[in-house]
Amino acid sequence: MKFWALFKRDVLVSWRKKSNIYQPLVFQLLIVTMFPLGLGAGAQTLAKIAPAVVWILALLSTLITLENIFKDDYEDGSLDIYVLSGMNLPLATLSKATAHWLTTGIPVIIFAPVIGVLMHLPSQSYGVLMLSLLLATPIFSLLGTVGSALIMNIKNGGMLLSVLIMPLLAPVLIFGAGAVLETTLGNSAFGHLMLLLGCSVLSLTLSPLAAAAAIKINLE
Amino acid sequence: MNRIVKFYHEMGSPPSYYRITKHWLKPMLVLAVIFTLYGLIDGLFFAPEDYQQGDSYRIIFVHVPAAWMSMFIYAIVGIAGVMTFIWRMKVAEAVMMASVPIGALFTVITLLTGMLWGKPMWGTYWDWDARMTSELILLFLYIGVMGIYSAYDEDPRKAARLAALVAIIGLVNLPIIRYSVYWWTSIHQGASVSLMGGANGIKDWDMLRPLLVMALGTKFYYIYTMFSRSQYYLLKTEQQKNWVNQVIENEQSGVKS
Repeated sequence: MKFWALFKRDVLVSWRKKSNIYQPLVFQLLIVTMFPLGLGAGAQTLAKIAPAVVWILALLSTLITLENIFKDDYEDGSLDIYVLSGMNLPLATLSKATAHWLTTGIPVIIFAPVIGVLMHLPSQSYGVLMLSLLLATPIFSLLGTVGSALIMNIKNGGMLLSVLIMPLLAPVLIFGAGAVLETTLGNSAFGHLMLLLGCSVLSLTLSPLAAAAAIKINLE
Repeated sequence: MNRIVKFYHEMGSPPSYYRITKHWLKPMLVLAVIFTLYGLIDGLFFAPEDYQQGDSYRIIFVHVPAAWMSMFIYAIVGIAGVMTFIWRMKVAEAVMMASVPIGALFTVITLLTGMLWGKPMWGTYWDWDARMTSELILLFLYIGVMGIYSAYDEDPRKAARLAALVAIIGLVNLPIIRYSVYWWTSIHQGASVSLMGGANGIKDWDMLRPLLVMALGTKFYYIYTMFSRSQYYLLKTEQQKNWVNQVIENEQSGVKS
């Protein structure tokens, strides 16, 4: 009961802060424009790097939204209330991660084909592209709660957050972009997607614990 | 009480840790210097030439021990991190935070010597080979631990616990990162160049000896630096405590007499 109340609140707050939703998409659109300008607009050149570009843009655009997952709640004292009221802290961070995924992850998944079209991604790859992002965006949000909980009372912690999160996201990028790349070459992406699913499940089980531990240390 | 158990408990308390390890510094430094000098001289002048790589293979005597240390120290950081996190042991904090910069240094040495070795051997300073990439990611992990610690400079104990958490998260992820990077290179370039020419490539005892001696030398250097840095860490974080004042008084009276 308590969890659902919290979850509703998290989603509502996240939804009302519209910058969470459109910021990543505008970022992606801006950066994807740079690639043809820098590389030359040849469809061949762009199609070759399209899987990587679409994936890296999805990752980076999510990264810029992570910093604030816990910041507001830390600053207005809500987090202290959670801890004091004896709430299950890992569940609370899971609610935050889900709310973040609903308002940032899903728009990124829906928007990815647009970036794909702009980068001349071959037509057989769109299904796997969206499927791989569907498996990976929860990882972004979950690891994001860990990173955000670690840096929530640091000013300008964005850079530090990137340093902390990026090495952990390297495998996700390898499997995700790899899956899309395999489909452009006409191969099956099954193995990559399975590994990605494994990463998802692992981060779903471990990240809430890590994020809760970070919050506890921070509020001591 | 059993002597070993007593020693274990003594090492857990900052004053006795300081008192005991203070005497280990000099022997460790002497051992480090002796082993490193012997290993370098033996490796650079007396070990036989490699039949393929000629003299340029000799950078192995710096590169490989440094690479071993870079990973070994991360394991120490991870274990000390677990102890910091669970038991809040101050000595574990000190060991962890003392080890991190040394590990980062060894990682940088590994990357730099690898690049210098790569230029004559592969014709390029950098190749996105699995080992090089995972070593680079290891450096990022070290930087992350140092970064979170220095961001909380007003409260070192909280900083150490957060750094321990980051180190543990890194330790859990390290195998995943390593394997994913290996599979990634197997996708892209087929057989990748093995950095050591295959560890089983070295069969000549005259080549192996300097390598093992250098490995011991770097170990002793690490032990020396780690103890001296962790002692400094404890003196700094415990400066309000009585035992630190006692140490300072003893030092001053020792200088006078």
